[in-house]
Amino acid sequence: MKVVHYINQFFAGVGGEDSAASGPASAPEPKGPGRKLAGLLGPTHQIVATVWCGDDYAVANEGAVDEILALIQAAEPDLVVAGPAFTSGRYGLACARVVAAATAAGIPAIAAMHPDNPGLDEAGTAPVVASGEVARSMGASLDTLAGAAKTMLLGVDLTGDDGRIGRLPRRSVFDERNAATRAVNLVLARLAGDREATEIPLPRFDQVTPAAPIADPSLVTVAFVTEGGLVPDANPGGLESARATRWLRYPIGDLPGLEAGEWRSVHGGFSTVAANADPNRILPLDAARQLEGEGRIGALMAEYFVTTGNGTSVANARRFGVEWAADIRRSGARAAILTST
Amino acid sequence: MELGERTTLAGGLLTVAKDEAEGFFADAALRSVTLSVAAPGESVRIVKVLDAVEPRTKGPGGGGIFPGFVGPAEAQGKGTTHILRGAAVVVAGYLPRAQEAVIDMSGPAAELSPMAQTVNLVVEFEPADGAAWEDVDIALRLGSLRLAAHLAEAGLDVAADVVEEPLDPEAAAGMPRVAALTNLQTQGPFKDVFVHGRSFNGEQPMVIDPGDIDDGAVVSGQFGHPSLKNPTWVHQNHPVAAALRARHGVDLCFAGVVISPEPVAMATKEEISAAAARVCAEAGFDAVIVTKEGGGNADADMALAMDALEGLGITAVGLFAEMSGLDGTGPPIVVPPERAIAMVSTGNYDHRLTLPAVDRAYGGERVALVDRPATDEMELPTAVIYCALSCLGWGRLRALA
Repeated sequence: MKVVHYINQFFAGVGGEDSAASGPASAPEPKGPGRKLAGLLGPTHQIVATVWCGDDYAVANEGAVDEILALIQAAEPDLVVAGPAFTSGRYGLACARVVAAATAAGIPAIAAMHPDNPGLDEAGTAPVVASGEVARSMGASLDTLAGAAKTMLLGVDLTGDDGRIGRLPRRSVFDERNAATRAVNLVLARLAGDREATEIPLPRFDQVTPAAPIADPSLVTVAFVTEGGLVPDANPGGLESARATRWLRYPIGDLPGLEAGEWRSVHGGFSTVAANADPNRILPLDAARQLEGEGRIGALMAEYFVTTGNGTSVANARRFGVEWAADIRRSGARAAILTST
Repeated sequence: MELGERTTLAGGLLTVAKDEAEGFFADAALRSVTLSVAAPGESVRIVKVLDAVEPRTKGPGGGGIFPGFVGPAEAQGKGTTHILRGAAVVVAGYLPRAQEAVIDMSGPAAELSPMAQTVNLVVEFEPADGAAWEDVDIALRLGSLRLAAHLAEAGLDVAADVVEEPLDPEAAAGMPRVAALTNLQTQGPFKDVFVHGRSFNGEQPMVIDPGDIDDGAVVSGQFGHPSLKNPTWVHQNHPVAAALRARHGVDLCFAGVVISPEPVAMATKEEISAAAARVCAEAGFDAVIVTKEGGGNADADMALAMDALEGLGITAVGLFAEMSGLDGTGPPIVVPPERAIAMVSTGNYDHRLTLPAVDRAYGGERVALVDRPATDEMELPTAVIYCALSCLGWGRLRALA
């Protein structure tokens, strides 16, 4: 059967971090880790193409996944395999989006990444199997991925035994009893000694290790990011007031501060009267300019990023974070201030 | 239900005197109101839904119903309450900070909403020129509560179809004492809940007689998070209290209800949650069912209270709506408890459903969220359907892997 392998430009041997902004490309052969993967898949399966892309390009460009998918579809595969992405956030996100898009287009697809990779939540209904944390574990990670890929090519659904990780999709269904009655039943079960019973498995949140402090803030450019829904008054990008699915960027490069009347918070989760009366209290541009003027920070990034943190799914929030990090890194800024409401 | 000349109840048909009913909304903040009837099964959509109230009274003039609004601000819960079950007063229209809320009286969304099971007297309104929105809100709340009490008066002389007796405390002697901890969203104008007529914002957790809640002690002025709101109607029919009453003397003792605010600041959330758990401990509860109102922010109040209860040796079960994204693969809860683990699901906030085109709509010309004519076919997240993920446990929806 025909397999297409998706990897990033680094593993394809096309430059390092400096090439992270390069666009998608393909070759009709296995490349990088694909060479070992091809051997593990055995003689009945063939890697007919490798598709790769720079992680920044794949994550930050709307339409990047469509371009990648077009290259994949050109090879008419029976299965798409992506990664392993280890704990690399942007690479994991790219792999996840590629397999989600392939699955949506009717092509079976599987990705491999570490369970802590933020991409895990973006794979949609496509299966993801575990990889190690870093590329040093490539061998074992490819063993798992190849085994799971062969199982999928037999048309068999993957389970935890195949190394599948991530959450199975939770569907909304009607129960026979209402939630209040089920709560009473759960109380009685718990009082009777069942300490494990629940309808919702506890979500697992990753712990983020903060980046090292900046030795000399006067030398770095600082980015502004807010979930306060603060946008130009007409809300030209149509930012949602709740359940945000996207974030937007607006220029502040030549502004000393934010004028009342020119900016507006569209956040639906709090009274925006005070915020609109002084938008600097959501995005403290006035204070930041003062610090900039005093030379205490090097400069402010010329744009700020904004979304609405009101009923936003954790999956979207994690994606925003990875995209912001990629964008801020590319801009040259080395610190970010996130304001919350 | 029908609109007519005189308000009467005969043979199960409620006739509402239109002019008289509109009179309850005579207020300097309102230019006019329009009344319409929307019944289950009709091809009708109600958008921009605000509060919903069940017609109830305790006698002529209300007899103390809705204390602090219609009756004096004194605890109720004693005596006879007359209920027009199956009817509701539903207010719909634009208010600031109110998030788009939709009821479909038929189609796939109907099963999700308690207000699609009732015959609704829909109240649409035009604010007076220059009126402050806060005053419009107050006028609508007073008007709908007075109207609901007035409608129930039509049933005072009609024989009841069903009579429910108060619980006998002795019947459950020795059984585990199970209670409800009901968090009320308290975030200022348009996102507030009232107890005995006063905002519960800044108050401390307190024990309240469930009979007092039956009589309208808790009134909603909370118009955020449509699927996660508890309108007055749901408080009047408190689903957890109803479920506990049904088991009183069978396998548990319904030991009471504690209400608690949902403050905004994290430190206050911790303080209030600990205080709520202490109130439950002092009341001698063995187990508590914790509920919330609102989105992920309100999960924190739930999680803190559940952990505090378990820390005091009290079994805690929480009702959570899940926010696991469009395909249901995201983490279901934003702020989960650390010690308590027993959670009931009320469905996935992000699940989408397609509503059919309808013959007529009330509450507004357009659905704000998708900016489409209100009568159009449209795809909406469950999050927009009124009470679809009922935090107080009204619904049968749940999420399942």
